[in-house]
Amino acid sequence: MEDSRSRRQRSQGQTRPYRSSLFLDAVRRLSRDKLALAGLAIMGAFALTAILAPVLAPYDPIEQSLVDRREPPSSQNPLGLDDLGRDILSRVIFGARKSLQVGVLSVTMAIVVGTWIGATSGYLGGWVDSLVMRIMDIMLAFPALLLAIAIVTILGPGLLNMLYAIGIVSIPVYARVARASVLGVKVQDYVLAARSLGASPVRILVRHVMPNCLTPLIVQGTVGIGTAILDAAGLSFLGLGAQPPTPEWGAMLGQGRYAMFTAPHIVLFPGLAIVLTVLGFNLLGDGLRDALDPRLRL
Amino acid sequence: MTRYIIRRVLLLIPVLLGVSVVTFAMLRLIPGDPAQVMMGEHATAEALAESRERMGLDQPIAVQYLRYMRDLVRLDLGRSIMTNRPVTEEIAQRFPATLELTLGAMAFATLFGVAAGIIAAYKHNSIFDVVSMFAALIGVSIPIFWLGLMLAYLFGFKLHWLPPSGRLTVGIELLPIVEVWGLEANPAEAGVGRAVRSLLDFLSGFYLLDALLTGNWKALGDVIKHLILPSVALGSIPMAIIARMTRSSLLDVLGEDYVRTARAKGLRERAVLSGHALRNALLPIVTVIGLQLGFLLGGAILTETIFSWPGLGRLVVNRILARDYPAVQGSIIVIAATFVLVNLIVDVSYAYLDPRIRYE
Repeated sequence: MEDSRSRRQRSQGQTRPYRSSLFLDAVRRLSRDKLALAGLAIMGAFALTAILAPVLAPYDPIEQSLVDRREPPSSQNPLGLDDLGRDILSRVIFGARKSLQVGVLSVTMAIVVGTWIGATSGYLGGWVDSLVMRIMDIMLAFPALLLAIAIVTILGPGLLNMLYAIGIVSIPVYARVARASVLGVKVQDYVLAARSLGASPVRILVRHVMPNCLTPLIVQGTVGIGTAILDAAGLSFLGLGAQPPTPEWGAMLGQGRYAMFTAPHIVLFPGLAIVLTVLGFNLLGDGLRDALDPRLRL
Repeated sequence: MTRYIIRRVLLLIPVLLGVSVVTFAMLRLIPGDPAQVMMGEHATAEALAESRERMGLDQPIAVQYLRYMRDLVRLDLGRSIMTNRPVTEEIAQRFPATLELTLGAMAFATLFGVAAGIIAAYKHNSIFDVVSMFAALIGVSIPIFWLGLMLAYLFGFKLHWLPPSGRLTVGIELLPIVEVWGLEANPAEAGVGRAVRSLLDFLSGFYLLDALLTGNWKALGDVIKHLILPSVALGSIPMAIIARMTRSSLLDVLGEDYVRTARAKGLRERAVLSGHALRNALLPIVTVIGLQLGFLLGGAILTETIFSWPGLGRLVVNRILARDYPAVQGSIIVIAATFVLVNLIVDVSYAYLDPRIRYE
């Protein structure tokens, strides 16, 4: 998996290493991975749909037309109408906003807090490290969805509280990833060099250690957004997340499931939207792992 | 090995204590007065005062926690607000249903996941490999509740092949083991006898076991039919993950020198696979299977809701919506404790499979 330039250089016996950076290298690898590109395309389409929702949606997502409830797909409503006569296409399009918000914001929150906790604890070591990691163990002792449900029970149902719940539940994963990377990096010579030059621990952590731990966090984060979207859909499905009439994919499934046997299109399309979006993040996550994994770099 | 197990069990204590603190804190973190939360909005002042005293809310927080722990050790999880029955009793009644579903899903995921992974690794880059791995990729991206809905619609409603909900068809008789064997619990009995009967009573919650042990074949068929759709829905994501892990792990091993040696000395492929390759590829597979159990316990909450499965997950959801916090709290403790226990078993089997771990 090396590009032709480096092969040529090597074959000519040049000792000068070819110019490369983690970023450029990753982009090169990623651009050759068809599945990852497909994932990127899906993600791009998803993000655009979310941003341009008001332009793209043919109807108001919460406007009801009770006369036409449960109408199957037609030329006017390509995905049909739901139980309250709302246009499903418009609701799916607006639903992308909620999923994107919850996915990106909860994972960002988890990465920021988790990395900070994991990196500090790994860098400091000793009893701080033991204590922090035991707390993370306790959080991991709950199945993720159950812990999220418990947190939503405490905070009360709602989109924002669900976002917090999913974020909090994901913290231990990132804390562990960050800690593991920091443990590997902090014994490197350049960290020792920085320390011997008198750099403060905070500076060493931020300037020297963290940039070298980013790779696994990026990979984990990409897949994590997919998982967060799935969890969010599950919580909303149970009625603990987005509340009606908010157009959210999981909530659409939860409210539509009683109408499923007479009008299956009501649950078909929001579900497909979830599958496609999560697939996009998983494809890209896989591609990024292959592209960024230093063990594969030659 | 024994020392390793003891060490692992000792390490569990802080985690379980932490779990108890979290669940203890849960009721007290809900905004408002816990007594009010427990008794509902319409409770009278006397009832509130009485419940506050009964819950020990007038005591310091440390005393409250110790009391809570004492009750927990006695398996006393309080009374449900909704039904006024002991929570322990309600959980014991529903937990077997959840375990049966989880085990069904695990069996499905392991069987098909490992098989698909082995074939994909052996036929590396073939059509089967590409298709099954893409299917696995879609498998990890599907919301289980949506898959469940689709399965129930297609196989239950359209094709009528399998029942779309419940555990047993109404009208089919399935007596619990205790009744068939005449071992019903006797309230007057105490000690070991009572414990044995309680255990039998609990086991009677496993319909498969009931039907099998009492030789009720008609019910057995019905129970299995009901189990298929929820197990497939719940097991789909673990199956996909197990298939991917089996494939990559086996591919690594198949490239090793000892596999080449085994083949070179003329062993049959079957012997190479079972004796040399799979044995070494097993470790990551077992880890993944263990990790998936936690997912299954969480996912059961969604699956049970869809298939009207009378388990613990459905109890949690229904009682959250009804604000029956003692029942929610109790269920969460039980699920978390089960999860911790399963992880222990996985770790121990891991150490059994790879002796290097024990000496770390």
